Amino acid sequence: MNKKMKKAFIAVPLSVSLLIPTFSVADAHGHESHSKGHMSAEVTNPAIDLRASLDTLLSEHAFLAVVAMQKGIDGKEDFEAAAGQLNQNTEALSKAVASVYGEEAGMQFKEIWSSHIGYFVDYVTATADNNEEGRKKALADLDGYRVKQADFLDQATEGRLKAKDLEEGLKVHVDQLVWAFESYRTGDYEKAYDNITEAMNHMFMTGKGLSWAITDQFPEKFENKSVDTPAADLRADLNSVFSTHAALAALTMQKGIDGAKDFEAAAAELNENTDDITAAVESVYGAEGAAQFKEIWSSHIGYFVDYVTATAENNEEGKQQAIKELDEYRAKQAAFLDTATEGRLKAADLEEGLKVHVDQLLAAFNSYTGKDYPAAYKNISEAYGHMFGVGQAMSGAIVDQFPEKFAGEKPSEMPKTGMGGMSRTNNDAVMWSFFGFLLAALTGAMVLRKKATNN
Amino acid sequence: MRYFLGLIMLVLALSGCSDAKPSIKENANAEKETNVNEEEEQVASTSTELTPPEGLTLKADNEGMVPASIEIPALDVNTEIEKVGRLKNGQMGVPKGFDTVGWFSEGAKPGAPGNAVMAGHVDSKTGPAIFYKLEDLERGDEIIVKDNDKQTLTFVVTGKEKYDRKNAPVDKIFDYAYGSKLNLITCTGNFNRDEGTHEERLVVYTELKN
Repeated sequence: MNKKMKKAFIAVPLSVSLLIPTFSVADAHGHESHSKGHMSAEVTNPAIDLRASLDTLLSEHAFLAVVAMQKGIDGKEDFEAAAGQLNQNTEALSKAVASVYGEEAGMQFKEIWSSHIGYFVDYVTATADNNEEGRKKALADLDGYRVKQADFLDQATEGRLKAKDLEEGLKVHVDQLVWAFESYRTGDYEKAYDNITEAMNHMFMTGKGLSWAITDQFPEKFENKSVDTPAADLRADLNSVFSTHAALAALTMQKGIDGAKDFEAAAAELNENTDDITAAVESVYGAEGAAQFKEIWSSHIGYFVDYVTATAENNEEGKQQAIKELDEYRAKQAAFLDTATEGRLKAADLEEGLKVHVDQLLAAFNSYTGKDYPAAYKNISEAYGHMFGVGQAMSGAIVDQFPEKFAGEKPSEMPKTGMGGMSRTNNDAVMWSFFGFLLAALTGAMVLRKKATNN
Repeated sequence: MRYFLGLIMLVLALSGCSDAKPSIKENANAEKETNVNEEEEQVASTSTELTPPEGLTLKADNEGMVPASIEIPALDVNTEIEKVGRLKNGQMGVPKGFDTVGWFSEGAKPGAPGNAVMAGHVDSKTGPAIFYKLEDLERGDEIIVKDNDKQTLTFVVTGKEKYDRKNAPVDKIFDYAYGSKLNLITCTGNFNRDEGTHEERLVVYTELKN
């Protein structure tokens, strides 16, 4: 069922559609261990897929925005390309909005959304010019943007997303980007990279809210499925940690070859992300499995660092050696996941998927060092999108393996919150429960009279 | 709460650093010494005299809480919260006590995005129970929920509805929401002796006060 990419309601951008087929769950539902159609135990359906698509676009927006601001203030050559990729992301988001709310709404969205990117550019420019007034104006413009954007989404979703809540959410987004930039500018790199992770992660909440509102608004277009299930949350959580890995890896490699001052902080954040992924693995497969996973996973980060180092040293042999080690890594990582998921993810498929991941990161890096920046950011975007396929495959396998952990059904009936001691019966509207009456009389709770007449 | 999160992140950051693969650090150093891009390091080149903006939010404060007690001043209610789940027949579970309130712990936490749901009895076999006067709540009345860490959240009543027990919009009452809501449920209407339950349910809708 996973290969059958249902035609998503929104226009799925290229980067998202590229990723799934090579890394699919091996016939996860061939097992008879649990009943099919268990609504909350599926990781893919039109509603959950919409959520994942929006998560992809929104979180990549946050990542690219942070990168573009860094490159902007540093006057780096790749600024234009980073900003260009950010604009492509805006295009894709606007198309998604248009596919749900119509062309005109899509245009309106694009105008509002683009404005906030513009204000961030203003903020960076004013900072570069040491122009305090300009910075303040940019922040004030961002405040104005929040109101407009919140109003747009409130209207579009017919009040399912409340402007008040949206403004709060948007404030967090804006603040995270400003803070990431300010931390970077002032050399507090650790904070800057904490903020990148937070800023990306925040967008998954936005994606959930937006996809929830859309599926609630047009239920029939999403087979009446919910975006809010434990299985969907697992998919989103894995998407988040895996995509953050790709984003940080690509950026860390750039910082490495540039010998940038924030390289250490970027690498440290990448390691923290490894810890996050390991914690997720541990929650499913236990401490021992997690330790094994961490060793294997960290090794591939190490080999990428080797590759960067060899590139820096113009050491062709070293680069080849790193690639060879990455090949070996793929086999190990694939075998681990095949075993852990009891064959739900097949080693052969996994190796293929991991090859895509490794190749995308290497291509992004090589394009960067070769100064083909548009290609570099296209590769990064693809590497980023690919990880959402990883999240889908992993979550699909895990949910299939441990269905009871993801049952989490909501009630289908209201609770039974009364025994009738103080109420009229439908059989005899006058008769009171004798004991109830007695107690009422004893406690002198005369309010009861009111209750009785109300009923 | 935010400080707590900050602390966790700091701890994570520290452990992340110390966990770094030795090879990464070594390589990083090696790389710095042999930087092939001989251009000078490009780092943030502006002055740091500019005033960083104040009052920024690093993280949405909406993790929610595991509620331990609920206070409804308008009804003079102040009681403990029990966790309840979903019964085999699909019904939301109810608290064991008649003077406690049950929180559907498999759903949203109060303060997190979504509809947190709590239920309390209207009566026992012999007398009034904790939510006996729930229907007296009016728009604007406050519900105060606390956890065991001295965290307090205040919700404000936005409306109330009575539904036939079999035709309540259960999906909506328990659905996700972008904002933080808290829905309080009790029984109302006539008691159906044959079915052993009231014919209607009362839902008081509230949302987090800013």
